[in-house]
Amino acid sequence: MGVMISQPLDKQLPHGVADLFFNDAARKRTVERALAETFARWGYSEIIPPMFEYHESLAAEAGPQLREEMYRFFDRDGRTLALRADFTIPTARIVGTKLFDRAMPLRFFYIGSVFRYEEPQAGVRREFTQAGVELIGANTADADAEAIALAMTALRAIGLNDFRFTLSNAAYLLATLRDLALTEADDAALRDAIRRKNAPALAQLLDALKLDATRQRALAQLPSLWGNADVLGRAICINDDAHATIERLRAVVARLAQFGLADFVTLDLAENRNMAYYTGILFEGFVQGLGFAVASGGRYDNLIAHFGHNIPAVGFAIGVERVMMAQRARASIAPDVIAQVYDARVEQARARGQIVEVDVLNRDDAALREYARVRGARAIWWRDGHVERLDTDKR
Amino acid sequence: MAELTIALAKGRLLGPSIKIFESLGYELRDARDSRKLVIASNGARFILAKPMDVPIYVEYGAADVGIVGQDALRESGTNVYEPLALGYGACRLVVAGKPEFQNAEWKMLAGLRVATQYPRVTKQYFSARGLSAEIIEVYGSVELAPMVGLADLIVDVVDTGRTLRENGLVELDEIFKSQAAFIVNRAAHTLRANEIRELMEKM
Repeated sequence: MGVMISQPLDKQLPHGVADLFFNDAARKRTVERALAETFARWGYSEIIPPMFEYHESLAAEAGPQLREEMYRFFDRDGRTLALRADFTIPTARIVGTKLFDRAMPLRFFYIGSVFRYEEPQAGVRREFTQAGVELIGANTADADAEAIALAMTALRAIGLNDFRFTLSNAAYLLATLRDLALTEADDAALRDAIRRKNAPALAQLLDALKLDATRQRALAQLPSLWGNADVLGRAICINDDAHATIERLRAVVARLAQFGLADFVTLDLAENRNMAYYTGILFEGFVQGLGFAVASGGRYDNLIAHFGHNIPAVGFAIGVERVMMAQRARASIAPDVIAQVYDARVEQARARGQIVEVDVLNRDDAALREYARVRGARAIWWRDGHVERLDTDKR
Repeated sequence: MAELTIALAKGRLLGPSIKIFESLGYELRDARDSRKLVIASNGARFILAKPMDVPIYVEYGAADVGIVGQDALRESGTNVYEPLALGYGACRLVVAGKPEFQNAEWKMLAGLRVATQYPRVTKQYFSARGLSAEIIEVYGSVELAPMVGLADLIVDVVDTGRTLRENGLVELDEIFKSQAAFIVNRAAHTLRANEIRELMEKM
């Protein structure tokens, strides 16, 4: 390329891929094992689709963005092949063509590389690893809640306890936009303004479209419909279907409450992802210290029908590289122990490889406890030898 | 939890942005000294960055929220929330060129060359109109390009239009209007929902 870098091509690496070895390779396998074990305990068995197949089947319902991002190439017969860009579409193909007559629901998990021709940015690579599940053959709030609860449980299994999930329903916007003969450009602009919570641009667009007053109000307030379950009471439903989508969210939140997980959910009705195949609930998981989602998923009831059999499904994927980034961010900030004074224990623990911070500000007990909490330490060693374990799960 | 991190675009938006946060009780006298990049004040951390960098800081979560012009935001192509338009820093992104290009003559030109600091928006604008334009990315004094024959047209922000006139250029088309926007990282929006909601209500 430039004057300074004149390495021969066989020593360079293309954009968006990475070599892993030593600790990183080991950490990746540890994460993958923990996720696989968690999925298996919930009754999910592994599915391994091929790394590439006909572009035609992978492009099914993929949505223009994902389709554009697929790596395509030709086989010797001149047919177009593509590398898998997610696991959901291959799984849908397998179920729709081979497993449609099995006892439902089917529970599958997968772990492996997917490939997307994207500009590497904000946690995006061209080859990255997804670990996720598909729960197939059940269109119920229980199935929705199981998918979300399993995603949360999986994050816990790899030590990411401080997650929050956003939850929305793609069908709410679909129902609210029903029977509007919008041009493609208007539809895209409207969805984009809603997705970006761009209230001023949305108001302008709606003014120009001259919708009926109720529908206009329902859409205009979407950017502000986020928060706890009260949000559901404020949603304006212009037809029975819209109403049903809100009731569904209410039911999912109630099930999550039974799992003890409802407090980790933020409802956000403005979410509408660019993935064309989602038809119902949508969710994304975030953890402290990382600016983008580590998990995302949703309900896709029409995808398998494309492969011949009309079977509903819900699923999610966890970005393995992203959770590794989150773990690393955490490791660099959280000590294992905060010690009130330097003593022999400190030296021994450090020799064992533990991260031990010693207080050098002579804090009083309350201040030190607060500091340890803020730092995310797992224990405090007090001057008198007492060990206080901190409940890091509750943070 | 760490303090809320707020990225502010330097340049003409900085003064009004500082005023907003000072009126909310933050001490930001240091922000006017442009050499300081990070300022801690009243439980928040302010970072001062070039306008084009603010959306990037926010998209990656290096800052939780930010204030930046919609022009830089659109150019960045980042995936962030933009819930508030703040009303100041109004300007327009326009196509401009020499007066002989008025009456849409430029649309007839094959092999159009366009100089700009906004290559992404420029590319979208021309390709959406089926015009093949060669986009030349420059880093300042864009008006110079048509004068010395580097480009036929420019795409740039104008405020009063004085700079264009002084350099013998005329506005040919408006691409969009811009003002300061409050933007939010998608993860922070959920993880720090209460703090951000409170801040937005005060603003």
